[in-house]
Amino acid sequence: MPTALMFASESGITVNGPLVVASFDLFGITFNLTESIIVQWIVMLILLIVVLVISRNLKVVPETKRQAAAEMIVEFFRSTVDGTMGAKYGRHIPYFAALFCFIMLNNLMGLLGLRNPTADVSVTGAFAIITFCMVQYNKAKTGKFKGFMKSFVEPMPFMLPFNIIGEFANPLALTLRLFGNMIAGTVIGALIYFALGHFAVGIPAVTSLYFDIFSAVMQAYIFMMLSMSYISSADCGDE
Amino acid sequence: MEILAKGIVLGLSALGAGTAMIAGLGPGIGEGYCGGKAVEAIGRQPEASGAITRTMIIGDALAETTGLYALVIALLLLYANPLIGKL
Repeated sequence: MPTALMFASESGITVNGPLVVASFDLFGITFNLTESIIVQWIVMLILLIVVLVISRNLKVVPETKRQAAAEMIVEFFRSTVDGTMGAKYGRHIPYFAALFCFIMLNNLMGLLGLRNPTADVSVTGAFAIITFCMVQYNKAKTGKFKGFMKSFVEPMPFMLPFNIIGEFANPLALTLRLFGNMIAGTVIGALIYFALGHFAVGIPAVTSLYFDIFSAVMQAYIFMMLSMSYISSADCGDE
Repeated sequence: MEILAKGIVLGLSALGAGTAMIAGLGPGIGEGYCGGKAVEAIGRQPEASGAITRTMIIGDALAETTGLYALVIALLLLYANPLIGKL
């Protein structure tokens, strides 16, 4: 249930949830078109334009700075995936690059005065569900049916409930980590603006530097790294 | 009477939110320990600083999780109180 207003006190502190722009019924289910979705469309558009511009006229030997920058970005993701997951996960590189760029730009949208889509638990939940599905897929693919079932009774059969809970705790932790960090930035920003009143010069910039830039890039990186380690540790093949 | 009951629930929810955030102690200690050990490790082996920093960030993120659970509970109690509907 997306709320338009999470909290507004009489003293003037307001913390907004994502606004519901439009809602429509489809097959008896109500779909809400929220602010988060609109901002994500903007992010997708930015990413698409950047990718199209940066990948035009590629040469074998880089001539332009544009191509050198593109190669640096690709090399960064390649070395990160190779270093964390191993060379056999090479085909996961585009997914993780897209995940990192998308989450980072979503987090940075706060700088433009838009509401962070990642400060909405349904958006971060969706990211975590993708990772969860990839973990289960990788487990089923490497271990086949037998290995998949065996991984739940791994050290001892009585560990079965703990393993099942642990399997669902990972996406929950991923969701709440990103959401908590972003909503903390939003709430603390609102509190500081309220506390300073008309003297809101300087200090909000410092907290914004931490929450909107440092924390945004860091949380996207952490989300990517944790997804990688969850997926590669789900490998139950015989090595 | 209704207002009194509501006041008690709201007041205790605020207290609960504050108490929940005591959990902030844990991540503080954990991240400090993690950072200190990473500095020690880099001091002993400066050429591995990249890998150590990467591992430290992951450790920090995992240590932070419990604090964020507490934050989510505190925000729930403050902004989307589930108890007030039970009166």
